[in-house]
Amino acid sequence: MKPPPANANVNRLIALSLLLLVFSGTLGLGAVWVRQEISQTANRSRALVARIADVERRLDEVNAEVAAAVNPDALLKQNQAMRLGLGTPQEAQVVRVEGSPELRLAAKRNREIFSLASAPAGDSAPLFRLVTASLR
Amino acid sequence: MSKGFANNRLTLLALGVVACFMAVGVRLVFLHVIDRDELLRFVDKARRQIVIEHARRGTILDSRGNLLATSRSEMTVAVDAWALDEFLQIDKNPAKRARRAAEEQAKRVQLAALLGLPVAEVEKAFVPAMRAIKPEADKRDGAVDGLTKDRWVKLREGVDEPTFAKIAALNVRGLTAERVYRRVYPGNELAAHLIGFVNKEGSAAAGVESKFDLFLKGEDGWIESEKDGARREMAQFRSREIPVRDGHDVVLTIDSVVQHMIENELRGIGAKYQPKFASIIVSDPMTGRILGMANYPSFNLNEYNKAPLDVQRNRAITDQIEPGSVFKIVAAGAALDQGLVTPLTGFDCGNPIVNYKGRDLKLPKEDHEFGRLTVAEIVSHSSNRGAAHLAMLMGEQNFYDYARKFGFGQRTGFQLGGEERGMLEAPKNWDGLTITRMPMGHAVAATPLQMHMAMSTVANGGVLLRPQIIQEIRDASGHVTHSYAPERIGQVLKPSTSALLAQLLHGVVGKDGTGAGFDLPGFEIAAKTGTTQKIIDGRYVTTHHVGSFVGFFPASRPEVVLTVIVDDAQVPGGLNYGRAVAAPAFRRIAEQLVQYLEIKPVSPATRGLLALSGGAR
Repeated sequence: MKPPPANANVNRLIALSLLLLVFSGTLGLGAVWVRQEISQTANRSRALVARIADVERRLDEVNAEVAAAVNPDALLKQNQAMRLGLGTPQEAQVVRVEGSPELRLAAKRNREIFSLASAPAGDSAPLFRLVTASLR
Repeated sequence: MSKGFANNRLTLLALGVVACFMAVGVRLVFLHVIDRDELLRFVDKARRQIVIEHARRGTILDSRGNLLATSRSEMTVAVDAWALDEFLQIDKNPAKRARRAAEEQAKRVQLAALLGLPVAEVEKAFVPAMRAIKPEADKRDGAVDGLTKDRWVKLREGVDEPTFAKIAALNVRGLTAERVYRRVYPGNELAAHLIGFVNKEGSAAAGVESKFDLFLKGEDGWIESEKDGARREMAQFRSREIPVRDGHDVVLTIDSVVQHMIENELRGIGAKYQPKFASIIVSDPMTGRILGMANYPSFNLNEYNKAPLDVQRNRAITDQIEPGSVFKIVAAGAALDQGLVTPLTGFDCGNPIVNYKGRDLKLPKEDHEFGRLTVAEIVSHSSNRGAAHLAMLMGEQNFYDYARKFGFGQRTGFQLGGEERGMLEAPKNWDGLTITRMPMGHAVAATPLQMHMAMSTVANGGVLLRPQIIQEIRDASGHVTHSYAPERIGQVLKPSTSALLAQLLHGVVGKDGTGAGFDLPGFEIAAKTGTTQKIIDGRYVTTHHVGSFVGFFPASRPEVVLTVIVDDAQVPGGLNYGRAVAAPAFRRIAEQLVQYLEIKPVSPATRGLLALSGGAR
């Protein structure tokens, strides 16, 4: 068998070297790209954490201000300043209702609905009304 | 060109290349072997950093979630005048440099306005200056002259976040800031003696702040990382990270509104009577949970440094007083509990001398002359001699044992600590008259809280409970980590006895009782007046008293225990009795509590049912 010419071996070697160069270059670039992504993600994450901490700080600030505004002393001062005349109810002003007020109010409401419905009763068909939240 | 000349040129070139490689090699040896440690230290110092993240201190809340103490971030603004100088020096063009300097000066005028400082003061801070340091540490700027660039000149501390946001938006060159957390108390004086405070150094000094500091303070975290040339952290190079753990929140059993009611009342007492001190305690008899505890005088937690130490004391647990007639619940309760007497058993309270164990003893004086009184009348009229008769019927040891069971002479176990034990001597240390004096509350000392818990025992069916001030502890994410349930110390009275005693105490506010006129119709106030003469220079005096009114309501369905104690009220004629100085406050608070806590009046039907069940709940 006839051996391949010397030039062909050299060309193959050069081609392989180039391939290796491209491959390792790609690996290197890939590694750089991954590191860049990692650093960007880490910095984004750090920025988010800082932002969350900032929002929490502001929340604390607002909570403290709300607490100061709604403390009983502050409310009493507002009551005086705005001349609202609000005060603790006296026992004589209180009427205690036995039973559940929800059920009592519901019964009252139902009575109103059914009396309205049955009022025009006669030869005509009973009149029904659609009760919605807007009618309450 | 000759062949020899070409060879020489190649040799020279080769030698040059070899020399260059050798130079690089030598330099590498220096960098990587000889100077390695020093260079690594330099790189470490220049790039590595440890950032400490401070934990946020937990909040203190009342039982309804209202904030009582919280932490607020504030900025301390300072100047690095050298940073501005270096920034201006970068530009070599004098005209440009002057323009930049003028821009910075205009920003500083706005900065002064935001900080509320004179412009001159701000300008002075921006003048580069040197400061003295120890010569051995003076290596920062090259010259070892004991001076270094002063890069931290404090402008103002306590700048709030919104103001700082405006300052940051100005982008003033050379301005630096440090974030610090300061404790704020939105209620100012509210529950001052319970909450305590954190001082400027960040140390918890008293109350919940101090006792629960371990939970509240949290744990600081830190990050080991690297920084870039602009001193910004490069998050991708973080090597170690210990996350910060914010402090836990502590939830108290007190109710801000109840607390405000009693503090308001104390302010009124203080203005009217200028007492030495006054205390009011409100609690739930069934759980021992304190709904409010306050003292006069009080102080503003945000200005704790202006309050004398004496004012900062929680006198409800630190001051001992003779309980006076309130202590008669021990004699009456014990005698009834043992079945030695019934409410209708009579005693001769008119005779000042009684024979006890073969000796004639002189009984204490009465405020009014009484004849024969039943046990019910002894309680309602607050007869000193009657109480002495009840104690003598039981004997010293028996009476002492009951007093101990009621919690006198021992700490209640209040969760904030710092409480006094009180004083209750064992019978072996008594003199001959103690058995006649102790039942009326002399020769014994107790804190207002001990008196309160003793009355609570009568209200809840005879059980002595540990007072609760902490409801629960929550972690930073809101999950409950510790919960405090009612804690029973011991059974003092039978439930039927306590119900019976409650009805007798209701008689105190009846027509002939010492607290007549202080009942709330429909709410059956059961209480005991107390007036103790104070000991001055070793003798009881008749012009200085501790007045008290301790009770609960409704008597047949107790929902609230309330104690009012006024020490040495200034009343014309020295009539600073419990009835005069404490009972009116008790009634006013009770009226408000009925509405706020939605306490329903006792109906006759309920009363009958409770009577049938012997008061047991």
